[in-house]
This record gives sequence, structure tokens and C-alpha cells, in this order.
Amino acid sequence: MNERTEYILIIEDDHQISRFISYALELEGYKTKNANTAQGGLSMLVTEKISLVLLDLGLPDFDGLEVIKRIREWSEIPIIVISARDADKEKAIALDQGADDFLSKPFSAVELMARIRVAFRHVIRKNSFEMRTTQTVGELLMDFDKRILFKSSQEVHLTPLEYQLMVLLFKNVGKVITNRMILSEIWGHNYGTDTQVLRTLMAGLRRKIEENPAKPQYIITEIGVGYRLKDE
Amino acid sequence: MVKRLMVKGTLTFVGIMSVSTVVGYLFKVLGFPETNIVIVYLLAIQVMAWINENFIMGILSSIGATLTFNYFFTEPYLTLSVHDPSYIITFIIMTFSSILTSTLTSQVKRNAALAKAREKETAVLYNLTNQLTDAMDSKSISEIVTRNLSSFLTRGVGLVVCNESGVLQHHFIYQEGATKVNREIEDFDNFYESIRSLRSPYYASETFMDYPINGRTELLGVLRIPIIPGNVLDQKQQVLIHSFIESTALALERIRITEQRSIDREVANQERFRSTLLRSISHDLRTPLASILGNTEVLIQMAKVTDSEVFKNTLEGIHDEANWLYHMVENILSFTKLQEGKLAARKQLELVEEVVGSVIERFSKNTSTRNIEVKVPEEPLYVPMDAKLIEQVLINILDNAHKHTEEKDTIQLNIYLDESKNEMVCSIRNDGSSIAKSDLPHLFELFYSAQKQGVKGKNNFGLGLPICQAIIHAHGGTIQLHNLEDEKGVEVLFTLPMEVEIDE
Repeated sequence: MNERTEYILIIEDDHQISRFISYALELEGYKTKNANTAQGGLSMLVTEKISLVLLDLGLPDFDGLEVIKRIREWSEIPIIVISARDADKEKAIALDQGADDFLSKPFSAVELMARIRVAFRHVIRKNSFEMRTTQTVGELLMDFDKRILFKSSQEVHLTPLEYQLMVLLFKNVGKVITNRMILSEIWGHNYGTDTQVLRTLMAGLRRKIEENPAKPQYIITEIGVGYRLKDE
Repeated sequence: MVKRLMVKGTLTFVGIMSVSTVVGYLFKVLGFPETNIVIVYLLAIQVMAWINENFIMGILSSIGATLTFNYFFTEPYLTLSVHDPSYIITFIIMTFSSILTSTLTSQVKRNAALAKAREKETAVLYNLTNQLTDAMDSKSISEIVTRNLSSFLTRGVGLVVCNESGVLQHHFIYQEGATKVNREIEDFDNFYESIRSLRSPYYASETFMDYPINGRTELLGVLRIPIIPGNVLDQKQQVLIHSFIESTALALERIRITEQRSIDREVANQERFRSTLLRSISHDLRTPLASILGNTEVLIQMAKVTDSEVFKNTLEGIHDEANWLYHMVENILSFTKLQEGKLAARKQLELVEEVVGSVIERFSKNTSTRNIEVKVPEEPLYVPMDAKLIEQVLINILDNAHKHTEEKDTIQLNIYLDESKNEMVCSIRNDGSSIAKSDLPHLFELFYSAQKQGVKGKNNFGLGLPICQAIIHAHGGTIQLHNLEDEKGVEVLFTLPMEVEIDE
């Protein structure tokens, strides 16, 4: 087992689930702290040295969304929210309020680890101030300088909007980005919430980079939430 | 009857004529002119017409009065012969005016009698309707109808009613005078058959005339009037009986509707209670199942590290079962929500390839050993749907396909637009084992268990397909399942209409 130094805070009121997450994380070498209320979690964040938060949205004392808001007032720490599969709206709001990613119950340890790895990678990237000129995901290679996307060394001809969308996905590789984030990033803050135009743009983009748009290799749809550029 | 009238008429005639003649003599003695005597006689005729119930008696009395006048007051006195021919005119005028008066009087009397009878009928019907309005059940309706009708007809009346489920009862309330009894219908089957096949307004047996009381759609009851020899119902009574039947039908129908409504409400309440219970149980099951899934997964990881095959296999068994239970619970939750009509309304335009893509992604994460081929239209296809529910449909169908196939088998998912019908068609085929013919018609039934052996995992088809059907129907689409040609696999086909009101 590889030893790591990161502490992960699990805010979850169900004891069994909390324990399973701890075991799974410890198997991977992470250290964990547990809180079963929002209040307890928030105070632990202040007193302990925590690197990442796993937050269940259905807590007994506080609304999970409120917890995210409070944390974001003073900290940029990665937050991964855990919620029921059918709670799309909740997930989307949590992400828009500053959560980094989400997991739907029931989730597997493998999924959990993947999300945590992505979250840590983004922290490192953010702190390194490194300006990357190229980035690869699978067969895709994005050249930010030349503003060209290659697939298997062939140039993919993108429209300006498609290029912007692709850049946004690359910058957040592995992480989910909500429809609202994409809309405000590409069409501006006042665009509103009509996702139809985004889906049409996405359909066009997929037809250029995916073998089969209904069996995507790269851009995964999180129904009702947003999109994710697949990592690994 | 006639005799009594004649006796009464004669007595009246003799009495009044005596009084008039005495008064006439008095006038004559006092030396009053003869005209006064004629006037007195005219008055007498009017009085007699008033008293006499019979028109003929009135006319006879009029002629008699003229003759009496002739006998006592015209010369030669005390004979019926007349010397002065001018009296003939007097007699004729007297006779005619008497007949006229008599006719008018008896007409007025007849009208008065008619009006009185009609008033009575109206009062009876009014009373009936009034009481029926307050009646709360069919028993009190029977009592009210039999009491009112029997007092009006002055004979016995019975009423048979149907029970809540519309079946004619075998006994009925019978009222005659003040006595009220519960009687059994003799030879019920024959009675029922006669009523059912009746073409005329009533059915007459040896003892009863039976009038069926029909509602808008069905028989509500039967009114029974006993047949009394020599006492036949007249026209008026017949009409009234029909009015009674009308009012009774209205009242019984009202009661029936009220009862039905309360039964419906009861059923709906039970249904709601059951689905609430089911939902809360399912909801509570989700969390422990999620934790069982997670914990076994951790244990599986550990077993892999220690390389213990037995542990690993046992744990994977637990994991699979827990996973199956979890899906079952999710299906129950959707089903209860659908039953309450909560989910039907959340349709939005969705890009089909995204929904399918998300399902394939989710599905192949757990079940990567099947080769899933997916085909969607080249042109992006937007279809009105509740994406979460359609995801569940696809997952359930793919799950079934998975169960019926072996490793490396192919599952084909093909979506296209049927422009002629303006609907999206989704076909999911697998080349695995086919489904027994005897099971095919039952696959969409709740909790149907296939008898087929050798199906991996659960033999129970359980909730998967019924839920798919409920979801697809809620979208206004169709779903069917059939074996492929040569029994080489199964195809599930479902459609979603393209034009549906969109909820924004």
C-alpha cells in the first residue's frame, strides 16, 4: 500500500456508508476523517488539515447546498458531492454552487477513486501556474497555441464555438461541467438556461470526434447535469 | 250506485218541490205576480242541480219542476193541461233554462272534482319526491315508495331493489295499510328472467304486476302491485304509478352513484396507502443496500490482495444479489411514482443519442462482457421524453438482454425515426436464448415468474418489463417483445411519439 499524506473528510450521516468509504480510501492509502453532521464537518475543516471533502447532500442538520456555500466562502478545497441517482437538479445546483464533482449512489470504490484522482490532479494543475501548450486525451490532442485539435494526428476542423467548447472540456478533463457553466462560459453570463443550442453544438462536435455519437469514447453526457470529458 | 243516485235525486226533488210549492202558494195568497213563483222554481232547479251528482238526474228534475209548476199554478189547477197557450212559452223557456243551468252546474262540479283529484296526485308526488330527496339508502327509499304508493292506491305495494353491485335482491319490502313486511320473491329465477326479457311496461304474473325500474344503463329495482280481482287500476292510477317509477329511479340512481363514489374513494385510499408504504419501504432499503454494495466491494478488493478465491467468489455473490435488489428497489420506486401520475408530466425535448450514450456508459461500466452495438440517426434526433425514465427503460431492457446472453454475445440497439407514424422507434435485439411461447403473453405482468430453466441470475422477470411498459405508456408510446425468427434471440421494440405537449 502506497502511503499518502492527504486527509479526506467524509461528511456522511449514514455510518455504514461512511465506514465503507473510509475503508476504500484507506486501501488506496489515503487518510480519512469522518463527520456525521454538517456542523461537525465544517468545524473539522477549520481545525484539521483537510485536502478534499466528500459531502453527502442529505444531511440531518443542514442542507448540503448550504454547506458548499459556507465552505466556498473561504476555501477552494475540492468538494465531491454524493447524492441519489434521481436527484439531478440537486446535483446541478451543487456543482453550480462550487462543488467540483459528484457521485450517484450506489457508487463503486473504483468510481470514487477515479473522481478523487481527477480532483487532486486539478488542484495540482491550478497551483502549478504551468501554461500548457498541448494536452492529450486518448487519441485527441489539443494544441492551444495553434488552436487546433488533432485526432489520431489528423486535424479536426472545428467551428469557433466548437473549439471553445473543446477547450472548456479539456481544461476540466475528468470533471463534470454543468450545462449552465458551459452556457455562461461560451455564450456569456446572460444567456439563460436554454440547453437546446448547447446540445445541438455538442451533437455536431461529437460527430467530428466520436466514432459513434451514441457510444461516446470522449464526451460523456451526465443527463440533466452536464458533460464530462472522459479521462484515463 | 245508480239506484242510490235515483233515490237521492227523487228525495231531493220531492223535498225541494214541496218547499217551492208551499212558497208559491204563499206568494199566490199574498197576491204576488206569477213571475215570482217562476223565479222560485228556477232557484229550486238550480239548487237541485247543485245537489244532484248526476247530470241526467239534473235534467229529469228540471223537467219535473216545470211539470210541477204546471200542475199547481196554471189554470186549470191541479191538472197537467193548460188553457192559456202563452204558458207553453213559459214552460219551454223554463225547461231550457233549467237544462242549461243543470248542465253548467254539473260541469263545474265535475271540473272541481277533477282538480281536486289532480291536486291530490300532485300532493302525493310532491310528498314522495320530498321524502326521497332526504333518503340516504335504498332501504329507506323502499319504505318511502311503498308507504306513499300504497296509501294512494289503497292497496298493497312492494318494491324490490338491487344491492350495491347492481344485483336484484331476493326479498322486498311490502306495505299494505299500516303493516310493513319483508317478503321473499317466489321463484326468483323465473321472476328475474321475466323482468330481464321484458318488452312491455310491466310483467303480470298470477299475483303481481311487476314494473321494472330502469336507470340510464341498468335495472335498479322492480315495483310490485298485487293483482286484486275486480279491482283494476284505472288510467289515472296507472299514470301515477309511472310517475312514481320515474322518481324512484332517480332516487335509486342517485344513491347508487353516491355509494359507487364512496367505494371508489375507499379503493383509491387503499391504493394510495399501499403505494406510500411501498415507497417508504423501498426508500429505506436503498441506503443499507448501497452500503452493502460498497462494503462487499471493499472486501472484494481485499480478497484480491490476499488472493483468496473462495472469499472473492462468495463476496461477488453477495454483491450481485445486493445489486439486483438495488435495481428492484429503484424499479419499485419509479413504479409507485408512476402510479401516482407524478412522473408522466415531466416531458422535455431530449437528444436521443445523449440518453442512449449515458445508458451505455452506465451499463458497460458494470457489464462490459457483452458487445453492444448502437445505431442512432445521423441527423440529431430530439424526442419529447422524461430522460430519467427512458434511461430506466433502456437499463431494464439491456439488463434482461444481458441475462439471456453469454459472454461476447452481441446486443444491438437501433433507434430510428418512423416519419409516417411520426414516432421514434427503438429496437433492442439480442442473439441469446429465446423466450418460451407460454411466457410471452405474461412478460408485462407484474411479478410474473418464467418457468424457463437455465436463465442466468434471477428466474423472476419481476418488475423490469412491467415498469418499462408503464413508463412507455405514460409517454403515449407502445412496447412489445417477441422472439426473433428461428427462435434465435429476442427483440424488444418500443416507440415514443414525437408530438407531445412539452412541459417547460
